[in-house]
Amino acid sequence: MGKKPNSTGIAVLVFLVVIVAITTIRLTGLGKEFPNPVGSAMEKVLAPVESVIWKMGDGFRGNIRAIFSFNKVKAENEALQSQVDKLVGDNIKLKQQVLAALRYDELDEGIFDSPTLDKYKQMGASIINRDTTAWYQTITVNKGSKDGVKINDPVVAYVGLVGKVVLVAETTSDVLLILDGEGQVGAIARDSHGHAVFGVLHGTYQRGTRLDSQVALEMNLKREDEVNIGDLVLTSGLGGVYPKEIPIGVVEKTQLDSTGLIKVAYIKPIVNFDSLEEVFLVDMAGGN
Amino acid sequence: MRYIVLLILFVTSLVLPGTVFYYWSWAGIKPDLAMLLIIYIALHYRPAQGVAIGFVTGLLVDMFYGRNIGMYTIALTVVALLSAVLQKSWYRENIPLTTFLVFIVTLVGQLVIAFLGAIAGLNWYVGDIVQIVLGVSFYNALLVPLTYPLIHGSFTSGVLKERTKYEK
Repeated sequence: MGKKPNSTGIAVLVFLVVIVAITTIRLTGLGKEFPNPVGSAMEKVLAPVESVIWKMGDGFRGNIRAIFSFNKVKAENEALQSQVDKLVGDNIKLKQQVLAALRYDELDEGIFDSPTLDKYKQMGASIINRDTTAWYQTITVNKGSKDGVKINDPVVAYVGLVGKVVLVAETTSDVLLILDGEGQVGAIARDSHGHAVFGVLHGTYQRGTRLDSQVALEMNLKREDEVNIGDLVLTSGLGGVYPKEIPIGVVEKTQLDSTGLIKVAYIKPIVNFDSLEEVFLVDMAGGN
Repeated sequence: MRYIVLLILFVTSLVLPGTVFYYWSWAGIKPDLAMLLIIYIALHYRPAQGVAIGFVTGLLVDMFYGRNIGMYTIALTVVALLSAVLQKSWYRENIPLTTFLVFIVTLVGQLVIAFLGAIAGLNWYVGDIVQIVLGVSFYNALLVPLTYPLIHGSFTSGVLKERTKYEK
């Protein structure tokens, strides 16, 4: 005959497990460093599998598109897409030149003192996994601690800011996208006259952004701040995680919140997160 | 063989959401396959076994995700426990009923995650939470008619069936 379970003992055990779990949940949150050899080993084993599936998925998606479009249209589409990318890049360059001119003025006044992204060492990485659960906006890339990746390393694409590293395994890293509400970025919005307005930008992470990714970022400002549609939003460098003046997006619309005290600017990201395949990890320690 | 198949199912439940289901997600909503697997396992194991498997699987899922260790441990343990309780008064063979069960249990599991996320200080909007909880539960339920007959068949007469030492 089996022993009757001791209900008090079970209650105490459950209580202890819950307390320990809540403590570890808090201690091992996003961006916290802690030893995780089992998770690291699992990532190491599964990363190649994820990479293969990811590539197959991309190929499959491409083929499905091809079925519904003539080759000529597809080629035309690709040519147009590359032209758009080039134009976006040119546009950013022009805006950066405007900023460089402003920077020159600022340097002249002796008030500007900040490194730019080019001064940091950057490492290319491929995406092997995305959003492991519906709760976060993350990507997994194929570079890890053995490549020198560290927690909080900024991550950029060819044209703009992507996010920051929140988890580092030996051969892979998880990147929290700026689209996630947890990933806040110190930002400035600059108008065509070079006026800068500082604010904190964060992802709206509203459902529907995947289907309508036109507006996925928002920036809270003071009521009197002058921010206009079309203003370029860049990192401010404040906060110490991101270098200064990485393009983030363009202001799509502004509106006062329900209290009438705060102005919210809705930002269209420059980076197309849905088609992102490769990113660059920035080594902040590598600046000079 | 049974354990190898379970291991493959577990690995699949970890890998697919971030890869295949990225393409099959709707507005960022994708199924929670680890939770679905634990519900299936708990429906076919003894309650204590199901809860233990839920706990260990949850811990492994947490370690794989590498953040908020304990969140899935608690969530999958609760899911296994609830599934084990419900299975006593539930017809496992009835697919529509099992679909409803998966919806309810996933809903509870996702609510546990949301609750623990709030305790952990994560800034999840209430609107997002409602949509994710309902969306993931619906997606998991949607997968039941496609996956459950195979899994149930395997648990009752296939490779996943627990055999006594006389049957081996």
